[in-house]
Amino acid sequence: MTASDKRNLACKKLLADVHAITAKEGITPSALHALKLKLVALAAKAELFPLADFAMPVAEARNHPLLVEDNDGLGLYLTISRPGKEAAPHDHGIWCINAAIAGRERHKIFRRTDNLAQPGYATVEQVGEVMVEPGSGMAMADHDIHSTLVVGGTPAVGLALYGYALVRFPSVAWYHPQFNSVRTMPSRRHAAMA
Amino acid sequence: MARTPKSHRLTIGNTRQTIDCTVNQTVLEAALAAGIDYPYACATGNCGTCTSRLDFGKVTLLPRNDACLSPQQIKAGRRLPVAPVHAATLRSPG
Repeated sequence: MTASDKRNLACKKLLADVHAITAKEGITPSALHALKLKLVALAAKAELFPLADFAMPVAEARNHPLLVEDNDGLGLYLTISRPGKEAAPHDHGIWCINAAIAGRERHKIFRRTDNLAQPGYATVEQVGEVMVEPGSGMAMADHDIHSTLVVGGTPAVGLALYGYALVRFPSVAWYHPQFNSVRTMPSRRHAAMA
Repeated sequence: MARTPKSHRLTIGNTRQTIDCTVNQTVLEAALAAGIDYPYACATGNCGTCTSRLDFGKVTLLPRNDACLSPQQIKAGRRLPVAPVHAATLRSPG
């Protein structure tokens, strides 16, 4: 059995576990925590994800689909982001789990603090920070807001599990603390997929 | 007496407004600070909303800021105003 075969089996097992957990519990904080532990355990099997099997991004980042379901849209990806890659605070509308295979990515967690009365205007406040590195992960609920930054001198390689496949993301809401703005845009992340 | 940061001249082709952009600013930051309604969303090079056409001059693309531009777009003169600028004329997507 090749590494690719083993990887496919492990990914299918993960999604079976995801379905078992969410069918029983729904998408609750405890369910998301359980999913995180599952994804962290899979990411710890670095031998299943040799970088030679995944093209490095020329510039910034790339998402490699590992398992994308046709019916309910769950998406499991291997993501590679080069040092310095950043994303402003955003809400992609769906829960997600991240776990690191290699490298370090800093996630800052925000909450919106304005009264949503003025279109395009938003203020956010940082309420937490998580360093996703080998052996750790993070879970976010449907409308959590986070920013990301790859820190250190090596690419961040990780697994990302979403409640939708990236191509099905309806939109992403971007918050920019510097400009006190929120802009909701169609997702372009599928364009970055290999 | 504080020294004024070095700046570059930048013309927004659509509006024909010329503004100064300091070495510590991105094009987008300078444009918004000048009151120009420059289209943007993420301001970090991920969504591509602000992809602009470079008519003249030079804009430095930071490595972390070009994820949403394809090599073909860069070759065709498309730039992101989330990058630092040298003297340039940009046309915003608006």
